[in-house]
Amino acid sequence: MSDENNVIGQVHEQDMIRVTDVTKNYSLGSGEVEVLHGINMSVKKGEFVSIMGQSGSGKTTLMNLIGMLDSPTDGSISINGTEITGRSQKELVQMRRKTAGFIFQQFHLIPSLTAYENVALPLVFAGEKDEGAVAKAMEKVGLHHRMHHRPSEMSGGEQQRVAIARAVVMQPQILLADEPTGALDAVTGAKIMSLLKSLAGEMTVIMVTHNRELADHSDRIIELQDGYVKISI
Amino acid sequence: MHLHSFVLKDLFRRKTKLMVAVLGVVVAAAAIVAVITTFSVAEESFHEATNKFGANVVVRPAIESIPLVDGYSTMGSLYAGNNYIDESDIQKIYTIRDNASLSVVAPRLYGIAELEGSSVVVMGIDPEQERNLKPWWMVRGHWLTDEDTEVPEALLGSDIAVPLGLTEGSMISLSRENISIDVRVAGVIESTGDNEDGYVILPLATSQYLLSQEGKVSSLEVRALCNACPVEEMSQQIEGVLPGIEARAMSQIVQNEMAIVDHTRSSAMAVSIITLLVSTLTVASTMLASINEKMKEIGIMRAIGASDIQIVSMLFFEGALIGAVGGFIGFFVGTLASFIAAPMLVSETPDPMWNILLPVVGVCIFTGMLASLVPAKRALGIDPAEVLRSV
Repeated sequence: MSDENNVIGQVHEQDMIRVTDVTKNYSLGSGEVEVLHGINMSVKKGEFVSIMGQSGSGKTTLMNLIGMLDSPTDGSISINGTEITGRSQKELVQMRRKTAGFIFQQFHLIPSLTAYENVALPLVFAGEKDEGAVAKAMEKVGLHHRMHHRPSEMSGGEQQRVAIARAVVMQPQILLADEPTGALDAVTGAKIMSLLKSLAGEMTVIMVTHNRELADHSDRIIELQDGYVKISI
Repeated sequence: MHLHSFVLKDLFRRKTKLMVAVLGVVVAAAAIVAVITTFSVAEESFHEATNKFGANVVVRPAIESIPLVDGYSTMGSLYAGNNYIDESDIQKIYTIRDNASLSVVAPRLYGIAELEGSSVVVMGIDPEQERNLKPWWMVRGHWLTDEDTEVPEALLGSDIAVPLGLTEGSMISLSRENISIDVRVAGVIESTGDNEDGYVILPLATSQYLLSQEGKVSSLEVRALCNACPVEEMSQQIEGVLPGIEARAMSQIVQNEMAIVDHTRSSAMAVSIITLLVSTLTVASTMLASINEKMKEIGIMRAIGASDIQIVSMLFFEGALIGAVGGFIGFFVGTLASFIAAPMLVSETPDPMWNILLPVVGVCIFTGMLASLVPAKRALGIDPAEVLRSV
């Protein structure tokens, strides 16, 4: 590690994620739309952070940038002191496999695969063997007994728990959840929230939501408005 | 779990689309197999038939004619060279490079003799070779034997036998200059419409005695089994081992008929290739449609760690699998089709051509993979962030 990196590491010793002056533009027809305007934020290791905001405020875009699904137009993002901006697609895929797990509002499980196979997919893509990791992840979400069922044979809550197992099977450092309870009823949603909360500490959890009640479960709330950080509580 | 087992599961989920894509390949593979199998049996049958056509090389002494001209008047020609081939030279033909293709070498000796006060053409033959050369001759009576008989035997052409009322067992007397022989009629050749209708056909030795040409023959008729051999080249080889003779290939008819077979086969093959192209497009469009359906899944897979190579490899595997299954089924469907088509074309049922099974499946696998190119390009263009944002 270079001296410069050491200095950054020392300065932000507790920061797992550091977002500096990040802007993101999208092409729209003949022009460009700036979705994020110079975002600055940091998240500590093991912290549970909610990103709140209205639709179109840029919260999902920010989550995708942190999850390396997208690259910022300007600014920089570092994870564990490692700069992720300006890296090749191949490098980003490799970093994403080890660093980030995703949970989506619509679960996004592959319908033709069983719960076990869905959870095993990240291992398959990473070329790693399942040495009990899938069973451990399924146990963690309380669905060890439903391993060989297909998504269509499961309730919404169960599907989301399978999606959480898939997100944590590689033991990522960051868990990114985009409206994880958005498609669930209140009771099931609460169970999912409690599961996410139990995972925080073990890993850094960033949850995107527009629901204040859910956000209150997290350690900290970052509120976005029109692509700007409005408030960080 | 392996990446490929994921593809298999996904394919079985989309059974109808899978069947459409496989069917496209089946049709193309079946068309190709049917064309190859049918035309292969047609070609074999054709060669078998042409092997019964008679000689395809005629060997004669090389005679040069020198025109005699006096001022503006032509006074005929002066012929130079030997009129006969030495019988002892015939064996030399078997020393040519393509001797394995020599099926029949039939010597002939021609001359004029007197029969019942009329001049007739006498043709001396080697009975065994001639019988192989002219299997279509229908003889009322029996064929000439090679063995020495007490009384020489002859076959008569129908134009001689019928007016004179000669049949098997009749005795005739042939004479030339001061030589006369009594001959028993072995049989009468039913009219072929060819020269032999007016011939008296004798064993070679008998004709040589009658015509005073011991050890000589006028020409040789050669039948080469020519499924692949070049008749013109064989003619040159014969001229090389028998100096002073002229070997002329009679392959034009065969070549013309082969050209028709080749032309028909080329046309059928062109249709098959067009079918193959159409099937490639069918597979490509089916896969492209499935990519559109699977955009979300591909986006998810990329989000959870699938690399570009893994996405492309899954699509190529899918294309190859469709090609392999389609090619395999197509082989049997095409073979079955040729069982129906070939008997109509050449009255023969072909055997399955197992040797083309692997090449056909290989071509179909390649076609399937080729069809995966466009969908693969499309899949690589999928931005997971964009896809996940829109669902």
